Amino acid sequence: MTISKKIVLIGHFGVGKTSLIRRFVENTFTEDYKVTIGVHISKRTINISENEDISLIIWDLEGQDDIKKTRPSYLLGTNGFIYVFDLTRPVTFEHLNAELAFLKENFSTVPVKVVGNKVDLVNKIYLKEHSEQFDNVVDYFVSAKTGSRVEKLFAKLAQDLI
Amino acid sequence: MLQELKDKYHKNNFQYILVDDLGIVLEQDQPILPTIIGEKIQDIHPFFEILTHLLPTTNESFEFSCINLDFNNQEPLVVDVTLKTHNNNNLVIIENLTKHYNNYQLTAQTRNESIINSQILVLKNEYLLEKETFKNNFIANFSHQLRNPITASTIFSDLLINSNLNDEQKNYLEIIQSANKDLKQRIEDILDISKIESGKLILVSKVFNLKELLKNIEVIYNYLASKKGLSFKLEIGEKVPTFVEGDQYRLKQILANLLTNALNYTSKGHIHIKVSHNHTRANKVNLHFEVEDTGCGIAEENLKSIFDRFTKIETGEEQTGVGLGLAIVKYLISEMQGNIKVESKIDKGSTFIFNVSFKASNYTQDQKEALLNNQLPELKQKYNILLVEDSEIIQLSILKILASTGLFFINIISDGEAVIPNLVDQKVDLILLSNTIQGYSASNLSASIRSLSKEYKKTPIIVLSTQGYKDDIKRYKKNGINDVLVKPFDKHKLLESIKKHLK
Repeated sequence: MTISKKIVLIGHFGVGKTSLIRRFVENTFTEDYKVTIGVHISKRTINISENEDISLIIWDLEGQDDIKKTRPSYLLGTNGFIYVFDLTRPVTFEHLNAELAFLKENFSTVPVKVVGNKVDLVNKIYLKEHSEQFDNVVDYFVSAKTGSRVEKLFAKLAQDLI
Repeated sequence: MLQELKDKYHKNNFQYILVDDLGIVLEQDQPILPTIIGEKIQDIHPFFEILTHLLPTTNESFEFSCINLDFNNQEPLVVDVTLKTHNNNNLVIIENLTKHYNNYQLTAQTRNESIINSQILVLKNEYLLEKETFKNNFIANFSHQLRNPITASTIFSDLLINSNLNDEQKNYLEIIQSANKDLKQRIEDILDISKIESGKLILVSKVFNLKELLKNIEVIYNYLASKKGLSFKLEIGEKVPTFVEGDQYRLKQILANLLTNALNYTSKGHIHIKVSHNHTRANKVNLHFEVEDTGCGIAEENLKSIFDRFTKIETGEEQTGVGLGLAIVKYLISEMQGNIKVESKIDKGSTFIFNVSFKASNYTQDQKEALLNNQLPELKQKYNILLVEDSEIIQLSILKILASTGLFFINIISDGEAVIPNLVDQKVDLILLSNTIQGYSASNLSASIRSLSKEYKKTPIIVLSTQGYKDDIKRYKKNGINDVLVKPFDKHKLLESIKKHLK
């Protein structure tokens, strides 16, 4: 049996939302940055138990510096959110709590995974220095480039959706 | 006619698809999307999976703009989609806006890239500043740690040279003294560079006797040149004024650096220094300096980088230094509103030419004499000195110097707590106060001493400091400290300061 769930990736522009999806769906990565406008939708089906598949319909939204600017129609029927920020650019995570509060207020029952992307570009000391901002908020530090914890992120979210 | 044309162009950009409540295509017109009647629209592209969520509603309208639809073997489409739900009769309207959105994408690409690049530049700048601050602090702290041992080493070798030594021992000691001097110079250079980079190097402006400064330099370098078998000549132009106002220490540093280089790189011939008057305008005296040698010269490809930090020219001969001297020289000259250049030929020699400006001084003959006669008076009675210092080697060094004059009674304490009781018990004429006493800052101790009694409000306090920045010295003076001796200091400086304040 296959069930279908809509997952929306949101966050600032240039944080690597498209790259994360390409890593997850096609297992590819490129350093080139192409700005997403509007939304791209892709799909990957994963097996979650012996007789059960889940079809993830992944919406890759154009980056916004403020979550409130997102077109409301894109968020209709969302089953899970992935909030992505860029670990190397503080401007993409300085309002993390306010952004997450917006989701909590408007989509109180929808699970959210918070991920810091580009973990390959920072070291442990850097993560420790920012621990106050990241602890208890961030679910995964991932890298679309190396693939680190990308599979795990989607698998865990899929588990949470059934 | 108009309607006909409108239909033609309008139709090509729109596709109307009728689907039932499950999303099965019932009817469609223009083929923008490759739909097939009887198939589920959700199977065409995952975007349409949204219908599963929306179709149960009736008489609603949903609009989705800028949807990127990728199909195999087809140019990607960017469309706006409108969904109008009716009972088992739902209309999907697709408007093809690919061209419009592709143009918009190019604009967004440029805008986002430029925003991200500027954010990255700000971050890089912050990172560099942090690194710079760390480096400067490290240098300041490190040099701070080195000052006590160098002071002791300098003072003891100075004391030792006057004791009973045989010739071999004297030779060894002279090597130690010269190494001490070098070490001190290296630390000063590193500190200067760090001060320059953090904008803390500030030139002082005081009237000084330029000709006397030049003559002193002549005496030293004439001696050093003759030791290497070189001839030395100083030429001072007729119009060069005797007195000018500026930073004599830094001018001396510039000349000493250039002359030391000339000595290092010259094995035969001469070293000449020429000073002439360029002009005096708006109360500023502009002077021209040339330092010429007949040394190994500098290859043309090295001339450009010679004033950079850590640049040392390979000549095959052994030279000393870490390559900071000329970078400091260039900076100091630019601070004196001047510039420096070098002319050089391999195996013929080099000439460093620079101009600097000083304030013109209107000292009269009487004032000149007063300045020249402003020597320190000899002390005629014995004074009580309290030395507060926790470093044993510095204690011993100072004790030796003061005892050698026979002019002072010295009391030494190394514990900050004992200072005040000690002052209450006995009369003290001058206090030497280290800045490294554990648990006590020199400024706070000085404030406590000042508040002790009327008498101690005026007792000279000289701080022996490992911190030599201008800010530190300013802070000390603000706290009622009369003078600051920055370690490493030598016998002469210590006695000069003590005598000045006991006058």
